[in-house]
Amino acid sequence: MVKIKYLLAGVLIVIIGILAAVIFFPNEEKRVKKQFNLLSEWVSKSPDENTFMMLQRIKNIGTLFDEYCELKAPDQSLSGSYRREEISTYAGSARSYFSQLDLKFYDFHIVFPEKEISKVTLTARLTGRSTTGEQVDETRELECVLKKIEKKWLFSAIEIVEVLKK
Amino acid sequence: MEGGFLSKCMGGEESNRMTVNKKIRQFFLPSLTPKFLIRVCLVALIAYLFFGYLCIPFMIQGISMEPTYHNGGVNFCWRLRYFFSEPERGDVVAVRFAGSKVMLLKRVVAQEGEQVEFRDGKLFVDDKEMKEPYVRYPCNWNLPPRRVEKDCVYVMGDNRSMPIENHHFGQTSKSRIMGTPLW
Repeated sequence: MVKIKYLLAGVLIVIIGILAAVIFFPNEEKRVKKQFNLLSEWVSKSPDENTFMMLQRIKNIGTLFDEYCELKAPDQSLSGSYRREEISTYAGSARSYFSQLDLKFYDFHIVFPEKEISKVTLTARLTGRSTTGEQVDETRELECVLKKIEKKWLFSAIEIVEVLKK
Repeated sequence: MEGGFLSKCMGGEESNRMTVNKKIRQFFLPSLTPKFLIRVCLVALIAYLFFGYLCIPFMIQGISMEPTYHNGGVNFCWRLRYFFSEPERGDVVAVRFAGSKVMLLKRVVAQEGEQVEFRDGKLFVDDKEMKEPYVRYPCNWNLPPRRVEKDCVYVMGDNRSMPIENHHFGQTSKSRIMGTPLW
C-alpha cells in the first residue's frame, strides 16, 4: 500500500514536471502558433470596440509582419510585396467594413525547412457582419512563411491556396 | 409456521431488492478495479480513433447544399468510402482545406477529362445537358466551358439560387476528398 502511494506521488510529480516544461519552455512550434493567435486576436473585432482599441489593434497587427511581406491573394486583387505599414493600413481599412469580425485558424501544419524559417499551412475562417448588416463567412487555406528575426517569428509571406478552381 | 414462511419470503424479497440495488449502483458507480480502468481506456481509444479518423462528426454551416443538407444539420464523414473506389458523378463529398476541422460539402458534377459548362442555369457535361433532380432552386448561371484536369473532379453545391460569384464551386484535386456523409 505504501509502495503504491509512493508510485502515485512519483507519477504525479513527473506529470506536473512535464506540464511545467511545456508551459514555461514553449518550443518553436508553439511560438509560431502564438503569432497566429495574436493575429487572430487583433484582426477580430467586437461591436463595442472603441477608437483607441481599434488604433491599438491596427498598430499591433503591423508588428507581426516582417518589414516586407509577400502577399498572394488573387481573389482580393492583392499580389506583391507590401511594407509593414501598408499591411497595417490595409488591415485597418478592411476592418472598417465590418461591425463584427472573428478570425480563427485551424489545422496547423508547421515545418521548419531552414533554421530561422517556418512554413505553415492552415485553414483560416473569417466570420462576421458587415456594417451594412451582411453576414460574412469565408474559409481559405493559407500557406504562410515566417522568419525568425530578433527572437520573434514574423510573417514574411502569405499565399491563399486555391482549393476550388472555377 | 405460516409467520415463519412469511418472514422467510420477506427476507428473500429483501435480499433480491438489495442485489438489484447493488447491481444498479455497480452499473452507475462502478468500483475502480484495474479491469474496469483497462476497459474504459480501450473504449476511449477506440472511440477516439473511430470518430477522429474514420467517421468524423461534423456540423453543416451554410446553405450551399440546400435542400439536400440543411444549415445546422449534423452528420458524419465516412472516410473509407473512397478507399477502394473513385468519386463518381452525383456523389456528395467532403472536401478538405488544410485538415479535417473545416470542410466543404459539395456534389461531384464532372470527372477528370470531362468538359463542364453552364448555359442559362443548366449544367452541361461534354455538351450533354445533365438531369439534376437534387437542384430545386432555379438559376441563370452562365459559365464558359472548361475541362476538368487529371486527378481532379468538379464539385458544386445543390443550392444555386445565389449569384454565380457568391457560390463556392470548381475543380478540386481528388486527394482533397475526405469522404462522404453517412446519410
